[in-house]
Amino acid sequence: MKPSRLIGLLLLCFALGSGVAHAHPHVWITSTSELIYAPDGSITGVRHAWTFDDMFSTYALEGIETKKKGVYTHEELAPLAQTNIESLKEFAYFTFAKADGKKGGFLEPVDYFLEYKDGLLVLHFTLPLKTPIKTRELSLEIFDPTFFVDFKLADKDPVRLVGAPEGCKFSFQQPNDGAASAQAMGEDNFLSGGNANFGAMYANKITVTCP
Amino acid sequence: MRSNPAAREPLITHALAIGALAVAAVLAIDSVMHVLAAQTPFGGPRPSAAEASPSGIVGWLLAKQSEFYREISSTIRAAKSDGSAVWTLLAISFAYGIFHAAGPGHGKAVISSYLVANQETARRGIALSFVSAMLQSLVAVLIVAIGAWLLNVTAKTMCGAERVIEIASYALIAAFGARLVWVKGASFMRALQLRTASPALALASVPAFHGHGLHDHAEHDHAGHRHADHGHVHHHHDHSHADHDHAHAHDHEHGHVHDEHCGHSHGPLPSELAGPGGWRRGLSAIFAVGLRPCSGAILVLVFALAQGLFWAGIAATFAMGLGTAITVASIAVLAVSARGVARRLSGASDGDGALIMRGIEFAAAGLVLLFGVGLLFGYLAAERVTCF
Repeated sequence: MKPSRLIGLLLLCFALGSGVAHAHPHVWITSTSELIYAPDGSITGVRHAWTFDDMFSTYALEGIETKKKGVYTHEELAPLAQTNIESLKEFAYFTFAKADGKKGGFLEPVDYFLEYKDGLLVLHFTLPLKTPIKTRELSLEIFDPTFFVDFKLADKDPVRLVGAPEGCKFSFQQPNDGAASAQAMGEDNFLSGGNANFGAMYANKITVTCP
Repeated sequence: MRSNPAAREPLITHALAIGALAVAAVLAIDSVMHVLAAQTPFGGPRPSAAEASPSGIVGWLLAKQSEFYREISSTIRAAKSDGSAVWTLLAISFAYGIFHAAGPGHGKAVISSYLVANQETARRGIALSFVSAMLQSLVAVLIVAIGAWLLNVTAKTMCGAERVIEIASYALIAAFGARLVWVKGASFMRALQLRTASPALALASVPAFHGHGLHDHAEHDHAGHRHADHGHVHHHHDHSHADHDHAHAHDHEHGHVHDEHCGHSHGPLPSELAGPGGWRRGLSAIFAVGLRPCSGAILVLVFALAQGLFWAGIAATFAMGLGTAITVASIAVLAVSARGVARRLSGASDGDGALIMRGIEFAAAGLVLLFGVGLLFGYLAAERVTCF
């Protein structure tokens, strides 16, 4: 056997045997998202409000000085919000848009801040689309491919369409209803061999259709 | 006498090729082991469309982990008013530890590979698993105690510290693996040369290889060897260089058998960690694996601290460590038994058996190195600390 083939074989085994992302969540996020429409009916971006679980909220607040104990203002939380947004970049903000089979890219987030509410941190930020999309059907997936973060759509009003044209409708799938996992299975998560897509099984998928 | 310099070069390439194949084989075995123990997405039964959730054993493991982990925070809260909830907390943390180790993490993989490479006993494997898991818990407690409690630094700073420790841990695994590869590669080559160059001699030296013949050559150079040198000084004068190998092999065997007797007669504890190679070698394995704290433990500790129940958080962390140790130890024992089976299957035939065993050890050593390098350069990105 030629050395190059051996190396190839080795890399393959390595990828299969140990590159497996046996990830597991450490952070839980309850998500609500708004799709922002321009007057011409195109989608310009997504506005998220992500509520962190209590353990992570407590952890993130560690060492942050406040004027009043137990009360965190937006200003006091600004450096943390900055860190959050910067860290999220590496993960493409866990937000994946697709319109007519094409992926929609996002610009850097704007209007971001952290809110401290009932002992939990809520991260607000807007992701503008690189180019506004005018389409009949757009899908938006929110998930962490490495499954370090477990996303869940909020029970109440997880999706809102802001300024959408008449007749636009949305539907959403959660990982715990059969449709979503069947969907994810059918897609590229296992077959592509890219185990990074493991988390896709846990994707929350929002689909918007306009007439 | 037995190695012909001219034949050496093709021999080395040959050896490398066999070694590479052996690495591939062990990697394949490793995959299977992962499937058995953890059910990777590849190994887990594919959920049919009708099934309700991300299913298979992976889904179940993840669901259990999440369940236990999420209960930890509510139980800590409950413990503030009701002290008895601490027992629940310990039980949940322990269970979380068991499930947690079955899923992600390099610890069990590195420890298992190390045990196979270094011909360790199952007992020593169990000891290594427990000590490294306890060290992991201790590091988590120290980070939070110093960072959050003493200095009141931000989560970002603490996470930065965690990252530094993580990189150090991965570098140590890589260095440790490199050293194992060096030592095991040398004994593999020697076995190969003996085997190829002179079948008769190779057969004669099989017993030495079979026991713990060329076991960790470098270590023994310092300890047992010097002793032998004194005794054999005159012999050595008369012999050619090539003879050294052979003489060494015998010395080792005697040294080792003696060690083993000492260990057994003095009860399990000293021999577990101070077995062949002594404390030092066991410690390097423990440090390499146990240095990196679990992010989950850090979160739990900070949360407990904020609730004014730091001690409960510490107790929970060690309970988690105990659970983790049990899983890692089970997998380690599995790895050691697998090597035992391999030895029985291969050793019965002839000198080739010794060669196969050296090859397996070499491959396992390579695996430790690959893990270290992979983790260090982020190929196994899922295991990196994420700072938000």
